[in-house]
Amino acid sequence: MSDLSNSYAEFESEVSRWMAAGAGDFEEMAMRVFEFQRSACVEYGRFCAEKPAPSDWREIPAVPVDIFRRMALRSFPAERTIRTFRTSGTTGEGFGEHHFCSLSLYEQAAKFGWANAGLPADGNVVSLIASAADCPHSSLSQMASWLAPGGRSFFGEWEQLAERLESADDVVLFGTALAFLDFFESLGARGLFLPSGSLAVETGGYKGTRREMPKEDLYRLFETKLGLAAESVWNEYGMTELTSQFYSRGFGAHCGPPWCRALVVDPVSGREVGEGETGVLQIFDAANLGSVSAIRTRDLGIRRGAGFELIGRDPAALPRGCSRSAEEMLS
Amino acid sequence: MFEIGGGDALVTTRERALALAEAAARFPELCPPSADEMMAAIQGELGHEEALEGFQKYHGGFTQAIPARTILHIVSGNTPHAALQTMLRGLLLGSRNFVKFPSNGLGALEEFSSFLPAELAALLECSREIRPGWKEQAEAWVVFGDDRTVAMLRAECPAGRIFEGHGHRVSFAVVFDDPEFQSCAGAARDVSLFDQAGCMSPHGIYVAGDALGYASRLAVEMEACHVAVPARPLSMGDRVRIAEARDALAFEAANSPGTRIWQSSGLPGWTVVYEEDTKFRVSPLDRFVFVKPLPADISSVLGEIRHVVGGIGIFPASLEHAEKTVGLGASRICPIGKMQETPFTWHADSRQNLAALVRWVDFEPDV
Repeated sequence: MSDLSNSYAEFESEVSRWMAAGAGDFEEMAMRVFEFQRSACVEYGRFCAEKPAPSDWREIPAVPVDIFRRMALRSFPAERTIRTFRTSGTTGEGFGEHHFCSLSLYEQAAKFGWANAGLPADGNVVSLIASAADCPHSSLSQMASWLAPGGRSFFGEWEQLAERLESADDVVLFGTALAFLDFFESLGARGLFLPSGSLAVETGGYKGTRREMPKEDLYRLFETKLGLAAESVWNEYGMTELTSQFYSRGFGAHCGPPWCRALVVDPVSGREVGEGETGVLQIFDAANLGSVSAIRTRDLGIRRGAGFELIGRDPAALPRGCSRSAEEMLS
Repeated sequence: MFEIGGGDALVTTRERALALAEAAARFPELCPPSADEMMAAIQGELGHEEALEGFQKYHGGFTQAIPARTILHIVSGNTPHAALQTMLRGLLLGSRNFVKFPSNGLGALEEFSSFLPAELAALLECSREIRPGWKEQAEAWVVFGDDRTVAMLRAECPAGRIFEGHGHRVSFAVVFDDPEFQSCAGAARDVSLFDQAGCMSPHGIYVAGDALGYASRLAVEMEACHVAVPARPLSMGDRVRIAEARDALAFEAANSPGTRIWQSSGLPGWTVVYEEDTKFRVSPLDRFVFVKPLPADISSVLGEIRHVVGGIGIFPASLEHAEKTVGLGASRICPIGKMQETPFTWHADSRQNLAALVRWVDFEPDV
């Protein structure tokens, strides 16, 4: 156990340095991460043993994201777990858990990924996300605590947020789409016009609320309520089961940091789809060192160059008819 | 709320049954009832074949069944089977019927009124939208859909109206004694028909004896069914859902010798999963079925599903074996291979579905 612990710590340091240096030679590092994880994570190793050996990073066996709900995936000894983040469970299918023995790669990925997307690293970030103290199992809250250090969460305190913004210089607002929607509704007919260098980063969708809004309509609200054009609004795509994030600006494609790659693949064959075609998103996140780096998501996307256009989950693909509610009851 | 006469039908119940049976026969895939089956349902639920025509003797007096004058049927897209049966019930009663079909249609069934004689066709109005006035006019609402839809419409239904909601149900099968795997072909048919979208579609099969062997044979039969009647086309999102379930189970199988998977090479197709773990698993549907060893006490492995059990297919379908499953919550126990052939007389959701749509007027004579 201690060997595994030590090997994790050593490799984590190496991966951290590699990320900081710009993550050159992705192929080589991705294959090393894979070799490490299939040896360190017994369950993943057994899964990989039944798959053909990958010849490059694209062929590394990806774990369906649902496995995080069914079993614990760790590439370090379980007793070294210092933090566990949970999925929201708002889809009614129970909680997924992502265990960490160190948050250093997560913090590095969050900060470097933010800057890599073109967002101001030292900006005046104002969080609309519940604080990490209030939501210790939320990876998003943890991320917000790093990106808005010293600041406070205005989650649910919309009047105070409005007062703060009325007197603010350039700000970067960071919140879920649902929180922004709540905030906009609290403003009523009022509009706040933020200074020209201000930005907003929305994430997280409308999980489980049945309260959805097309992206175009949401971004129109950013314009009418905050004076932010679509080009000043970013979307962050991440999930509890990953450590790194992808960002899109306005209505552009999502791109990730250099230590992270997204493939848009056919869900059955696993082969990458052609440019402009739709498939399911499969991520290789080298910063996911403590669990498994190759993750098959449930989200649909359209391949756009090195990035993707996010479609998200297909609501029409939920089990139809007589079984859905029963599935929820079983979770 | 009700008016004697229950609509403008000019025929007797039996005449309506004959005309309805003739029209329904155009849909053999939906197991249409004969006129005699419909009259048996009238006799069984209303006590007399002419209960709708006039007063019938009743405990020293008389009684007459008065059907809801107008019925609003909201049918889901799962299977056309339930849609046909509910339309037949409303027309058999002589009520006026508003039928709201799913927005993406329900195939040829939407043309059902064109197969009816004019007197009955006049009692049937169908649309993919709920037309203005339907909700207000309907004295009875019959709703099929997911639990949320049913709950939403129940809240909307004005007080004093009849509301018959049919929400989620989950079905399964139990093989008590089948060393030769004779029931596999029927089980494959039960899983494959309607691509598991119906409430009678089995999610899992509990097998006494060689459950692993049963699963292996079932896979062969599932492929045969797929060749005979290919599975419905799947959207990209559907493919993601099925592929994810397969991948997740492959991950579990790699970590548990008690799990094995058989599957079609591509999608759409079929999937059979054998699991030693007897806990009930809900299928992701689209011809995806679990096979598990039969535990000593089935009720102990059903969990919350026991509240939503629809039907149970059994083999052999003997009274002795039916009695072993009678307490598991189902409203129907039938032979494996016949799960999709729901009779018109079935107490769907454990209810009398014709009787629910009438009210009774008793007459106590003094001479």
